[in-house]
Amino acid sequence: MSDVQPTVTVDARGVACPGPLTSLIKAYRKAKNGDIIEVLATDAGFKADVEAWVKRTGNELLSLTEEGGVIRALIKVTAR
Amino acid sequence: MAKKVLILGGGDGGTILANRLVKKLSPDQVEVEVVDKSDIHWYQPGFLFVATGEAEKEDISRRRPKLFRKGVKFTKGEAKKIDLDNRSVEISDGTKKTYDYLVIATGSSLNPDEIPGFTEGVDHFWNYDAAMKLRKKLFSIKEGKVIVGIGGLLYKCPVAPLEIVFLAEEIFRRRGVRDKIEIKYVSPIDRAYAPHLLNKVIEDEMKKRGIDVITFFSVDTVDPEKKVVNSLEGDSLEYDLLILTPPQQGAKVVRDSGIGDDEGWIPVDKYFLNVEGYDDAFAVGDATALPTPKTGVIAHFQAATLANNLAVEITGEGTKELFDGQSFCVIETGMGKASAQVSNYFYDVPPGLIPNWLLHAMKLAMNKMYWRCILSGMI
Ligand SMILES: Cc1cc2nc3c(=O)[nH]c(=O)nc-3n(C[C@H](O)[C@H](O)[C@H](O)COP(=O)(O)OP(=O)(O)OC[C@H]3O[C@@H](n4cnc5c(N)ncnc54)[C@H](O)[C@@H]3O)c2cc1C
Repeated sequence: MSDVQPTVTVDARGVACPGPLTSLIKAYRKAKNGDIIEVLATDAGFKADVEAWVKRTGNELLSLTEEGGVIRALIKVTAR
Repeated sequence: MAKKVLILGGGDGGTILANRLVKKLSPDQVEVEVVDKSDIHWYQPGFLFVATGEAEKEDISRRRPKLFRKGVKFTKGEAKKIDLDNRSVEISDGTKKTYDYLVIATGSSLNPDEIPGFTEGVDHFWNYDAAMKLRKKLFSIKEGKVIVGIGGLLYKCPVAPLEIVFLAEEIFRRRGVRDKIEIKYVSPIDRAYAPHLLNKVIEDEMKKRGIDVITFFSVDTVDPEKKVVNSLEGDSLEYDLLILTPPQQGAKVVRDSGIGDDEGWIPVDKYFLNVEGYDDAFAVGDATALPTPKTGVIAHFQAATLANNLAVEITGEGTKELFDGQSFCVIETGMGKASAQVSNYFYDVPPGLIPNWLLHAMKLAMNKMYWRCILSGMI
C-alpha cells in the first residue's frame, strides 16, 4: 500500500485527548469521496478504534500497520 | 539595552508569561508589553459555574490592567497583522510595534458557523452571555429531551461537555423534574470519552445517573426550527435543549498573517514552543497546533517554561527547560465530586480516577487561587 498517495495526513502521535480518532473525524468532515486520509498515532487503542469507526461509517480501511511504535492507518473515504 | 518582549494576548498564557518575566528580570534587562483587544479578563472555567448558577460575573472577571505586575506595560488594542520576517506587528490604532522576541498567546476563537444551524439552535457556555442564556434554560425546562455532547471537534477544555451533562442532571434532580427529562450524551467515537480508563469511570457514572451515550454521532447540521440535530453518520435526534461544544479556530490575526495551519493554529516546536522556522517568535496556550488539550493548565505550564527560557536567552545564564506536554484537568461529576485527567507527551494513557470530594474541593480552590497565585506568576 506504500504507493497510495494520501490526500491528507493527520499526525496524531502523542495525542491523549481528544484522541487520534477525533482527529481523523475532523479530517473526515472536510473530506470528499475518493480522498485518502492517512493517520499516524501512538495510542495503542487506536487500532481497535479505527476498525470500529470504519465498520460503523462504511468507509474503507486500505491498510493498518505498525512500525517503531507508530500506527499508520490509510482510509479511503467512500461514505460521504 | 533591555530586550523587548512583545506578547499578543493577555489571557492565561500571556498574563502568566508577562508576570513571570518581570519577576525574573530587571527593567534594564527586559521590557515587557502585552497587547490585548479587551480590558476584561475572564476566568473561563468559571463559565461552567455561571451556567449552573454557582458563579456570577464579578466572581469570574477582573479588569485586565490590574492583573499585571509592576513593570508590565499593557496596551488595549487588536493585533491586525504579524510580520515575523520584519519583527513587526500592526495594531488596530494604525501603529506598528517591533520586538526582539514575540509571543503569540491569542487563544482560540469560536467559529459556530462551521456547523449550520449552530448559532440559532444550540446552547453552550464558552462565553459569559451564552452561559447566562443556558442557565435560564437549565432552570426553566420542565420536561423533554436534553442532548449534550461534542459539536465542534477541537475545542478548549476537552472535559467541559462531560461536566455540564453531570451538573445539568444534578440541577434537574434538585428541581424535581429529572423523571420528566431524558438526557443523551452524543459522542463522535464509540464511547463517551477518548482515554479508555477515564472513559470507564465516566460511562459508569453516566449509567448510574441515567444518561444514555449515543456513540458514532458526529454532529453535522442542526435544524433549529424542527429541533433536530443530524449526524455525519446519517442519524437524527430530536431535542428540546441542545448543548454542544462550539467549533473553534485560531485567532483572526493568525489566520490573516498566514502563520497558522488552515484553521489558524500555529505550528510550534513541541518542546521549545518557537514558531516553526523562527527563533525569536513563540506561541503558547490554545493558539498552538500542538496535539495537547487546549487548557489553562497547559497555557500556564508553557508560559512558565518559556519565561525561564527567555530569561536564559536574555541573560545568558541558567539552563533552558523543555515543555513536556503536562496537563491536568479536573472533571466535575456533580453531587460534590470530581475526577481528573492527567497526561503528558510520554504518558498518554491517563488513569481513571474515581470521582471523589477531594478533587472537587481542588477545583473550587482553584477558582479562588487563580487570580492571586496563578496569574501573578507566583505558582
Ligand atoms: C467553558 C470553559 C471551561 C474551561 N475549563 C477549564 C478547566 O477546567 N481547566 C483548564 O485548565 N482550562 C479550562 N478552560 C480552558 C482555558 O480557559 C483556556 O485553555 C485558556 O484560557 C488558554 O489560555 P490562552 O492564554 O491560550 O488563551 P486565552 O486565555 O483565551 O487568552 C487569549 C487572549 O488573546 C486575546 N486576543 C485574541 N486575538 C487578539 C488580537 N488579535 N489582538 C489582541 N488580543 C487578542 C483575547 O482577547 C484573549 O484575552 C476552559 C475554557 C472554557 C471556555
